[in-house]
Amino acid sequence: MKKTSTSSAISRRTMLRSSGALAATTAVLAACSSTRPSVARIGESPTTVKLEEVAVTDVILLRTAMSMEIMAAAMLSDSAVTAIASKDTAPVIAAFAAGHTSQLEDLRVLISARNGEAYTETNAKLMQAYGQTALDLVASGKLATDTLPLTLAIETLIASTYQYFVSLATEPAVRADLVRLGGRSSRRAAITAQLINGGTGGFAPANDKDGVALVATLPSAFGSLSTVQVQLGPVNEVGSRTTVLMDTPSLNSLIY
Amino acid sequence: MDTHQVESPDMSMTTRRRLIASLLAGGAVIAAAPLFAGQASAAEAGGPPQRDPADNEALNSSLERESRMVATYRKAIVGLTENDLIAMTLILDHHVAYAQALTGYLAVDVVNPSSAPLASPAGSVASIARQLATLEDQTATIHTNIIGTIKGIDAAMLLASIVTVETRHAAALELIAGSSPIAAIGN
Repeated sequence: MKKTSTSSAISRRTMLRSSGALAATTAVLAACSSTRPSVARIGESPTTVKLEEVAVTDVILLRTAMSMEIMAAAMLSDSAVTAIASKDTAPVIAAFAAGHTSQLEDLRVLISARNGEAYTETNAKLMQAYGQTALDLVASGKLATDTLPLTLAIETLIASTYQYFVSLATEPAVRADLVRLGGRSSRRAAITAQLINGGTGGFAPANDKDGVALVATLPSAFGSLSTVQVQLGPVNEVGSRTTVLMDTPSLNSLIY
Repeated sequence: MDTHQVESPDMSMTTRRRLIASLLAGGAVIAAAPLFAGQASAAEAGGPPQRDPADNEALNSSLERESRMVATYRKAIVGLTENDLIAMTLILDHHVAYAQALTGYLAVDVVNPSSAPLASPAGSVASIARQLATLEDQTATIHTNIIGTIKGIDAAMLLASIVTVETRHAAALELIAGSSPIAAIGN
C-alpha cells in the first residue's frame, strides 16, 4: 500500500488565515493613508487651502431664516410688484410683506437667546440666483397677473425653507418655532392660491379645458421640499414664458 | 491498490476557531478604519437621534388627533355635493394619509387610537368650513407643540410636513367660511 501525504506548507487553512490577515492589514494601511496626490508634477504646484469645516448650528439656521424673510419682504414690496398690482391684490401683498418684516423680531429674539447675532441683510446668494431674475421679469412683463403667482412662489418657498430647517435643527424648541413661523407662510400661500383660483373648486389639482394645470390651494397631502417653479415675464416669440426655479437655501447659501 | 490518505498533524496550528477569530478581528479592524483615518463625523456622533422611543407617547397623541379628524371629516362630508364634496373629501384623504404615516412610523408601538369625531359640523358649507378651520388650526398647534418636545428628527420632519399643509387647510377653509384674505392670514 502506497501512502501519499498531502501535508503541504500551503494548505487551505493557511491560505485562509493569510488572506484574513492580509485583508485586515490592508484596511489599517488604507485608513492611515494620506490623501496627498501621488501623481508627479512638474513646476510649481498651487497650495490648496482646505476650507474650514463649520457645523450648521441652530443660530445659523435662524440667521438664514432672517435673510429669507428680508428677501421675501423686499421682493413683495419691490416697485416692480407694487407698481402693477391690482387694487384688490395690492393690500394683501403689502400685508404679506409686513408679516415677513414682523417675523424678523421673532427670529431676533430666538437668536439673541442663543447668544447669536441677528442678520439684517437679504440672502444675497439666493437673490442673485433667482430673486432678482424674478423681479426683472415682472418689471419687463408689466403684467398685473404676474404679481400673485410670484407671491405664491415666495410664500411657498419660505414655508418649504422652514420645513426643511426642521431636519437640520438640533434643539426641539427651535424646531417647533421654525414650524410656527413656516405655518404663517403656508397660510399666506393658501390665501394667494385662492385669490388666483378661488372657491372649493380650486382646492384640488386640476387642469383647464386646454389641459393646462390650474393653481391648486392644496397641491399635496404633505409639505413639499421640491423646487418652486413660477412662470413670469413677457411672452416670447414662441409663445412661452420664462420659468424661474426657486430652491430652499443649501449649505452654500446659509448665513454662517 | 493505492490509497490516498490525508495526514493531519497531531496538533494543528490553524483551527477553525482561530480562523473565525482572525476573520472577526479583521472585520473589526475594517469597521474601525474610519476612526483611525480621522474622518468620522462629529455631527453624526453627537447630533440628535433619528428616532427615540421616548417620543412614542407624544406621537400616539398626534395619531389619535388625526384619527379623530378623519372621523370628523367623514361626518362633515355627508350632504355635501359637487366641488364642496370634492374639496372636503380631498382634505379627508389628507388626514387619512397623516394617520397612516404616523401608524407606519410607530408600527408595533401604536396604541389603539380613539376614532371619535371631534365635532359634528353641519349647516351651510360656510358654516362647516368655519368649524373645520378651527379644528385644523388646533390640530396644527397640537402637532407643533409635540415637535417641541420630541427628540427624533424623523418624527419631527414628518410632523412638520403635516403642519405645513394643515395650516393651508385652515386658511383655505377660513376663506370658504367668508373671511377676508387679510383676516385669514391669522397671527
